[in-house]
Order: sequence, then C-alpha cells, then structure tokens
Amino acid sequence: MSRTSRKFVVAYILLVGLPLLALAGVLRSGRTLSAPLSVDGTWKIDVDAKSIASNLCTAALLSTPLAISQSGKSLVVSVGKSKTESGTIEGTTLTAAFAPGADPVPAGCNSDQSLTLTAVVNPKAQPRSLAGSLSVVGCESCAPVEFRAVRQPRPQGGGAH
Amino acid sequence: MPNLFILTLQLAVVLAACRLTGELFRRIHQPKVVGEMFAGIMLGPSLLGWVAPHLSAYLFPPSSLGFLNALSQVGVVVFMFLVGLGINPGELKKESHAAVLTSHVSITAPFVLAAFLALYLYPRLSDDGVSFTSFALFMGSAMSITAFPVLARILAERNMLASRLGTVAIACAAVDDVTGWCILAYIVVLIRSAHSSTSIWVTIGGILVFGLAMIHGVRRLLRGFETAYRKKGALSENLLALMMLLVLASSLLTEYLGIHLLFGAFLMGAIMPKEHRFVRYVLDRFETITVTLLLPLFFAFTGLRTNIGLVKGPQMWMYCALIILVATAGKLGGSTLASWLSGMPLREAAGLGTLMNTRGLMELVILNIGLDIGVISPALFSMMVIMALFTTFMTTPVLRLICAKELDESSAAIATKPATGESLSLNETEYVA
Repeated sequence: MSRTSRKFVVAYILLVGLPLLALAGVLRSGRTLSAPLSVDGTWKIDVDAKSIASNLCTAALLSTPLAISQSGKSLVVSVGKSKTESGTIEGTTLTAAFAPGADPVPAGCNSDQSLTLTAVVNPKAQPRSLAGSLSVVGCESCAPVEFRAVRQPRPQGGGAH
Repeated sequence: MPNLFILTLQLAVVLAACRLTGELFRRIHQPKVVGEMFAGIMLGPSLLGWVAPHLSAYLFPPSSLGFLNALSQVGVVVFMFLVGLGINPGELKKESHAAVLTSHVSITAPFVLAAFLALYLYPRLSDDGVSFTSFALFMGSAMSITAFPVLARILAERNMLASRLGTVAIACAAVDDVTGWCILAYIVVLIRSAHSSTSIWVTIGGILVFGLAMIHGVRRLLRGFETAYRKKGALSENLLALMMLLVLASSLLTEYLGIHLLFGAFLMGAIMPKEHRFVRYVLDRFETITVTLLLPLFFAFTGLRTNIGLVKGPQMWMYCALIILVATAGKLGGSTLASWLSGMPLREAAGLGTLMNTRGLMELVILNIGLDIGVISPALFSMMVIMALFTTFMTTPVLRLICAKELDESSAAIATKPATGESLSLNETEYVA
C-alpha cells in the first residue's frame, strides 16, 4: 500500500468511520429519551347530552371536530373557526385558550367570551382518546361543557402534522 | 371539483410573485431559485397571511390546496427526473481519493452533528408518535443534503464548472444527493411500515428487486432513446411521451412499494443515457414548463405550509439558530476540513465547503416529505426551511469573499477560451431554477 493510500485510509477511518460509530452511539442512547404525548391530528368529539342542555352556546362550538397541530409541547388547537396560540401539553394534560369572537355564534349567545379547553389524554387507548371540558373564562354561572374525543386515523400517506 | 377561477388566479399570483422576486434576487447576485423560495414563503402565513389574512384566505382557501399540491407534486416529479438525468455516474467513477473523502465526510459530519442535535431537540420539538431513531435519521439526512442543481447553477454562473473546485464540488454533491436520498428512502420505509400491515422486509426486498431491475434491465432498454436521438437529431413526440410514461410508472412503483413517488422519478433520470447532447435535448424539452410554472407552485405550497409565526419566543429562535449553526458547521466545516486534509489549499477548501453548504430546493423537497410522513413538526419544518434559505442565500456572498481570486481566474479563462465542447457542459446545468 502506497503512502498516499495509507494516509487516505487513516483519514477515512478518522473522519468517516469514527463519526459513524458515534452515530450508532447517539441512536442507541436516544432510545431512552421521551417526547411529549402525541395529540396531533383530528379528534372526533362526543359531547355529553347534559352539558349541551346546560350550555348551548359553548356546546355549539364542539359540533365540529377538534384539530390539533403539534410541535413538541406547543399546540395549535382549532375548534370550529376558533384557534388558539397558547395550547400546551404537559404530561397527559392538554390546555388551550381561545380568543373571543372568531366563530359565528348561535342567536342569543355572547361572542365576546374567551374560552379555555382542558383535557386529559389517555395514552394507552387505541386509538388515542381524551376527556375534558370547555369553559367560559370569568363566567362563574356558566357550566363547563364536558366532552370526550377520539383521534381519527391519519390519511394514507399523509402526515401526522 | 377544483374552482377553476381560484386555481387560475393562484397560478397567476404565484408565477408573478416568483418571477418578480427571482429577478430582484438575481440583481443582488443571488440565484433566481433563492428569490423564488422567498416568494413562496411571502405568499404563505408568514407574510401574506399575517399582513392581509382576508386576501390570503381568498387566494388560498384550504379547500383549494389539494389541487395546488397535486400540480406542484407533478412539477417536483419531473424536476427530480431532471435532477437524476443531470447526475452522471461516469463523473463519480473519476473521483480521486480527495473527492471520495470529501464527499463522504460532507455526509457523515452534518449527519452525526444533526444526530447529536436531535438528542436535544427530540424532547422539545417532537412527540411520542415519532421514534427517536426516525427523528435523528431524518434530521441527519436533511442536514447532509446538498442542492446539486442549485450548486451546479451557481458554478455555471460563476464560470467555475471546469475548475478543480467545480469538478470536485459537483462530484461530491452528486454522491451526497444519492446517499441522502437512499437514507431518506429507508426512513420513509421505516415510518410507513410502522403504520402498514406489510412487513418491512417485504418492502425492502421489493425495493431492492426494483432497483436492480432498473439498473441492470431497464437501463439497457433506455439506450434506445439515445439511439433514436442520434439517428434523427431529435425524439418524436411519441418517444417523449413514452419517456414521461416511464417516469410516471417508475414513480408509481416506488410509491406502491412504500417509498415516495420522487424516488422513482429520480432513479429513472439517473439511469437515462448520459451523452451530453442527448441530456441537453431532453432537458430542453421538459425544463421550461417545469421550472417556470410547476416548480413555483411547489415553492408556494411549501410557503403555505411554512409558518414562521410558529417559531415564537427566544427559545424557539435559539433552536432555529442552533439548527443553522449545526447545519453549517457540519456541512461547511466538514467538507472544508476533509478537502484541506486531502491536500487542497485552505482557501479553495473553504470555497468547496461553502458550495457544499448550499441546500436550496432539494432541502425543501426533503422537508415536505418529512412533514407529510409526520417525522417533523410544523414548527421544526419552519425552522428547517429558514435554515435552507439561510444556507442557500449565504453561498454566493461567502464564495465571493473566500474565492475572489479563483472566480476572477475562472472568468478570465472562460473569456479567453475558444468555444468547444466544454461550453456545452456549462450549459448543461442551466436547466435548474
């Protein structure tokens, strides 16, 4: 083997071989890492009948599926035409706040109310499910709307996000 | 049914925005493709949707995006065929030890650094629906890719294709792209097989059989195109249609096998005959409509999916800066170090590193696949798009700064050189946007 070839082999081992070994180590050690629960996707909502009766205005919002776009712990949650900029997931608890006035509201309902969504995710359920409530911020007399939701299958070939 | 009025309006707006921005960027010595990438971002929620949400909602209603995406994907399928066509395996065989080392280090360095970065980003920007291995491998392949077509375009515009720097850069970029796409194919299979009833080994077996059949069987049959071109100096419309049919068939097969449409298109281009004039002829037939109309749609669609608003707060911008830093350190630093150790003068080695750091359109293609299969989140997608724009934008000014002397010499050499077959190979890369 010529001197040039020997130098090439040494450089190749140092600059390519060793980094590949490091890569294998990183992939191995990364397996122990845990990421936030996946809640990304579309969720079919099932509202408790009693809740609908007690708060028609808020329950009307939950007539459309819940759409969640997730980036780590940060969420963008859409219910109807409302969107949040402050959704988060901590452990199994999901919280989101909706700005007022984005959705057309049924006659007789107040559109200037901020809403808060709180839910607990069941990570073991297949498909994944959650149970929670949607409540009006600062309204002591308004009863929260209880709901359950089940994540819908992802479209074929399409993404989770 | 698509709303034809909206679709036509979208085409007109995207085309106008891309041409205008492309021209503006050309005037500041940037490749037009960088301007077109910026135009796409400007049409999305990051600018138009933020400044004029009602206009944005009227121009790009969610119900119309499926058609826009379908059209743009057709453009990317043809584009990937053209990229494959531009890659010449003969050039790769001519590589010296230096080029082999440089190209392999320019893959492994950013790949390994990206994997280390993934250790930090995975708990922060991903979720448990994605395994760490898939996340880290995707980050690695996204950071190790080089925009072969944009790089070729920059070299052609600077008259550097025939220089040693240009030759090594082209060979390295070709190796990087082929390797990057193979790794990406593996990741796509890995992720899709997790949601599929078909065993991963059946998928991998099918892909291997397909690849071998293409390289050892179909490739020979494709020589018929070159023979027909030699006889008549042109290809009939029927033959061009047959060529496109083969591209579509190959794309469909790879999609069916569980990887992506684009791999089939790329592979079909890569196994096409590589005679200079034939390649130029095929590029001329397909590039105009692809580059001027369909690719801008892809930029616009990418822009519509990029929401820089998701990168909010100092922490998120710190992640973004970290991604840019790691991508640049791995690609620019790794390539520079390897080529310098291989005996290239430091200034030239740094020039090569800068060229290899160009990611451009190829990065956007990969990132869109990543977002589609759910391996990256929307915020990470936006950060990676910013990284692609940043690294592509920095190439020309940094190259001018580092290699001013080499650029002057190349320009002088080209100016005094009589027109030869060499000039054909310079033009060969100009199909890229």
